[in-house]
Amino acid sequence: MLFLSLKMSLARKGRLFLTSLAIILGTAFLSGTFIFSDTLNRTFDQLFAGVYKDVDAYVRSSNFVEVQFGGEQRARIPIAELATVRDVPGVVDAVGAISAYARIINKDGSPLGSDNGPPNFGAIVSESFSGLWSVDSGRLPHGPTEMMMDKWSAKKGKFAVGDTVRVNAQSGSREFALVGIATFGNVSSPGGATFALFDQPTASEFLLAPGYVDAFLVKSDGSLTDAELAAKIESTLPASGKLETLTGAEITKEEQDLIGEALGFLSTFLTAFSLIALGIGCFVIYNVFSITAAQRLRENALLRAIGASRRQITRALLVESLVIGLLGSILGFFAGIGLSRGLSALLGAVGFEIPASGLSIEFRTVMITIIVGVAVTVLSAILPARRAGKVPPLAALRDTAIETTGSNRTRFTVGLVVLALGAAALIAAGAGANIAFLGFGVLFVFAGVLVVGPGVARPIALWIGRPIEKLRGVTGAMARQNAARNPKRTARTAAPVLIGVALVTAFTAFASSVKAEIRDTIGSQFRGDYVVSAPNNGFGGLNPTLVDELGSMPQVGQATALGYATIKINGKGEFVQVIDPQTSAGLFEIEMVQNTQQSLTPNGILVSESRANSRGWTIGSKIELTMVDGTTKELEMQGTFKPSGFFSPYFLDRQVFIGSNNSYFDSVIYLKLKDGVSVTEAHDPLAAATTDKGLGELQSRDEFIDAQSGQVNQILGLIYGLLALSVIIAIVGIVITLLLSVFERKREIGLLRAIGMTRKQVRSTVRWESVITSMIGAVVGVVLGILMGVILMAVLADNGVSAFRLSIGSTLVILVLSFIIGVLAAVYPARRATKIEIIQAIATM
Amino acid sequence: MISIIDAAVAVNAIKTYGEGDSEVRALDGVSIQFVKGKFSAIMGPSGSGKSTLMHCLAGLDSLTAGSVSIAGTELAPLNDKALTSLRRDQIGFVFQAFNLIPTLNAYENIVLPLSLGGKSGDEAWINQVIETIGLGDRLKHRPSELSGGQQQRVAIARALASKPEIIFADEPTGNLDSKTGGEVLNFMRQAVTNLGQTIVMVTHDAVAASYADIIVFLKDGKIAGQMTEPTPDRVLDYLKHLGE
Repeated sequence: MLFLSLKMSLARKGRLFLTSLAIILGTAFLSGTFIFSDTLNRTFDQLFAGVYKDVDAYVRSSNFVEVQFGGEQRARIPIAELATVRDVPGVVDAVGAISAYARIINKDGSPLGSDNGPPNFGAIVSESFSGLWSVDSGRLPHGPTEMMMDKWSAKKGKFAVGDTVRVNAQSGSREFALVGIATFGNVSSPGGATFALFDQPTASEFLLAPGYVDAFLVKSDGSLTDAELAAKIESTLPASGKLETLTGAEITKEEQDLIGEALGFLSTFLTAFSLIALGIGCFVIYNVFSITAAQRLRENALLRAIGASRRQITRALLVESLVIGLLGSILGFFAGIGLSRGLSALLGAVGFEIPASGLSIEFRTVMITIIVGVAVTVLSAILPARRAGKVPPLAALRDTAIETTGSNRTRFTVGLVVLALGAAALIAAGAGANIAFLGFGVLFVFAGVLVVGPGVARPIALWIGRPIEKLRGVTGAMARQNAARNPKRTARTAAPVLIGVALVTAFTAFASSVKAEIRDTIGSQFRGDYVVSAPNNGFGGLNPTLVDELGSMPQVGQATALGYATIKINGKGEFVQVIDPQTSAGLFEIEMVQNTQQSLTPNGILVSESRANSRGWTIGSKIELTMVDGTTKELEMQGTFKPSGFFSPYFLDRQVFIGSNNSYFDSVIYLKLKDGVSVTEAHDPLAAATTDKGLGELQSRDEFIDAQSGQVNQILGLIYGLLALSVIIAIVGIVITLLLSVFERKREIGLLRAIGMTRKQVRSTVRWESVITSMIGAVVGVVLGILMGVILMAVLADNGVSAFRLSIGSTLVILVLSFIIGVLAAVYPARRATKIEIIQAIATM
Repeated sequence: MISIIDAAVAVNAIKTYGEGDSEVRALDGVSIQFVKGKFSAIMGPSGSGKSTLMHCLAGLDSLTAGSVSIAGTELAPLNDKALTSLRRDQIGFVFQAFNLIPTLNAYENIVLPLSLGGKSGDEAWINQVIETIGLGDRLKHRPSELSGGQQQRVAIARALASKPEIIFADEPTGNLDSKTGGEVLNFMRQAVTNLGQTIVMVTHDAVAASYADIIVFLKDGKIAGQMTEPTPDRVLDYLKHLGE
């Protein structure tokens, strides 16, 4: 029997291939995600292992602020302590280290490197740790006017030793003589990051604060173990200095874990989408096996008649699914290698550049891909296989082999119950229950729709087909009836389209709501003419003195800065916004609930209404602020504002940070021109002071609003890209169903051809059936997607995303695309249908 | 040789399958005319080439050599599209089984060739045909709701609906019991006698063949003889003689 099943599955190579295709695509995404994440992790692991290769001990401040999603901000340490460390027995050498923001400016004035890509660092280079950086050409920099850069940046910016190079850091923009070019170990630059390298005093003064560094790197003479050395250093350093010492291995591990955590988020995101693709693949596989079982009815009945047991029939189909699953997964694994490159490219296309390196393929990836692929295939085949086993031997004698149809009451009831449960969970989520309810709700609603689907597919198909019948006459009528004749099959074929469309619709609606919200928020807050924003999102920023420079320009009437800082509020790390209440009036207005923005003083804090309520704070409440260096300050709540999804729940006066040890930067400077100065005449002088020097990006009010809301498009683009594969699987599903339907209706098509249906009409019938099927998915999907979007909005209403806005344009595009998908999916099956030999088809009667 | 009173003509029709040693001659130089307004039957043992002859005459298959024409139109030079519209407009078909499209009701099946051609047809004629088959009350039924005999009558009505030059029927009663078969054959007889249609029927049933005006006997791809005014007994005798 095993041999027979294998023989039977191999005898149908075409179907084997098509079924495998669904599995290949699903598993390719899975293995692609794994390979991509592993590669990324390994790249960064190697990077940090390389960075700390020669470091035996690592001294840093024990004061830090940790923020959710924002990483950690650690206090700087005085370079003066370096001498103490150097004197510890067992220490051969120790140097200061800095990793801060520094942007090399190209010869044409544009910043080098990308804004969302690998970071732009400023760092210390010295002879003592030659292992980190080696001189490729020229020499090491000495003094405040000299610098080196990494070979990758030099190549990218076409810099050579002897050039004068402008570098922007938070403290300002400065020109240096390029005295050397360095390589990192044997690579030009680790991970494609850019490095501006200075001697320690220059780096401290330019990048951080004079006399301070981020850490000390210590090299041991080998007489002590690293742990012993670290302990010794720690005990030697004064306890009041709040310094801690780690071994080289510890700091390597810590940095690797930190980046691993950040990348883990990305992998989870990608895995979620690969699971969606696999789930959709399940439908296609289930559908194929159901149709297969139906088509093989006579064959199976014959086997039963000559003595095969039910179990043997079932097993035969399961063995076939095992073969297909195995084959598909293996091919899927290989396809995943290519796909991991595609993921890189996709992320690159939406602005997240990923350093390129060799692929990391782990045994685990191979195993997971194959196990998941086989399991999914076999599980999807179990029901159809069991049904095949139930075939009565007498069916062999029956004429037609059509799948059992008919919606039974149980299915309907079960479906409605599941739907109701899902709706209840969603409503609960909308009413503020745990976010998990949202997930379960969505899952249950999908499941419910899919269970009810076969029961409603027929009326929906007839309804959607009506205009097509009107338009296309008899071929349209036949397409309509064909789409409706087997509701189970139609429902299962439309389901993947439905899921894809629902997700796309929900994400699109969500994104357009967020965009609209951003526009409204920025539009109402920002009343000026121009904006200067930091070139690097999130890392680095504008020099805090820039706002004053711009403010004193003759064209500018008013200038105010919005900045960010990381501090602790009542002991908990927070990302806070920093404004200047003196200069912001009328230019940057927060929507206040209690008091005014101008009531904020350096001793106060503004808190979002919802945060204040949840903490029980009222005007005058005392709130403790802890700076990154551990110093504390008592603040008074001086007002509340309307919460927004895009702002932290706290605003502080920038005077709190100016001159403090807490790193602080401005991210946006808002400008209002003097009366009588036109926007056009102000542009060039403003650009000369900012963009042209690589200091921030000058944007008009409209440009700024567009750019800010446009960021949502990047994420949306990424989501679309990731859903694309699911859509492809859905198309494959339609192709398979159509092919099998065409095969099944061979006689019918032969008859139609005999009595005068042209090939064109045959094609048209198949095409419109396909369109009706995909449109069922699209229409129901859009409805579901809108509902999901509305609920998502309701759930997130507390976070400031209030208005649900359905983009009519996008919805139409989705429907048109689904229509096109239907047309495309029909191309091959329709061609097969026209190739049916009339004589052969009617001779099998 | 070709006259306008001939609905279908085959001249020296040769049809071979395969090549070399495995070559099979299904038709080996068949020349025959089917006269307009007559009910003709083609008979012969299995493998005699009777189905092949019908397929080639009806433009479903092409000849290896020789020629066939329908109402004076030579089929060989026609492309697929032209052949299709010829079948749609000038030929009617009745097959042994699976004659109807399961998703269309009886009426829709009857007018299907007309609908495919984008025509509404001669309404009076269609009504007359429907009246003759006597299924007026079942027109809204799907094929699965009709009996085998009813299905065949709908199929004949469909073949008649476009007033074709000629109707080809391939074992139309092969799946029916003798009583229902008789009804269907009577109906075909009426279509020729009363409605002036031309029918060519392939059959191996002597009783069915006896309804025809003329019987053409085929053996080994060649015409073995003809018989007019047949009766079942004469046909059986002839077949016995043919088999020797």
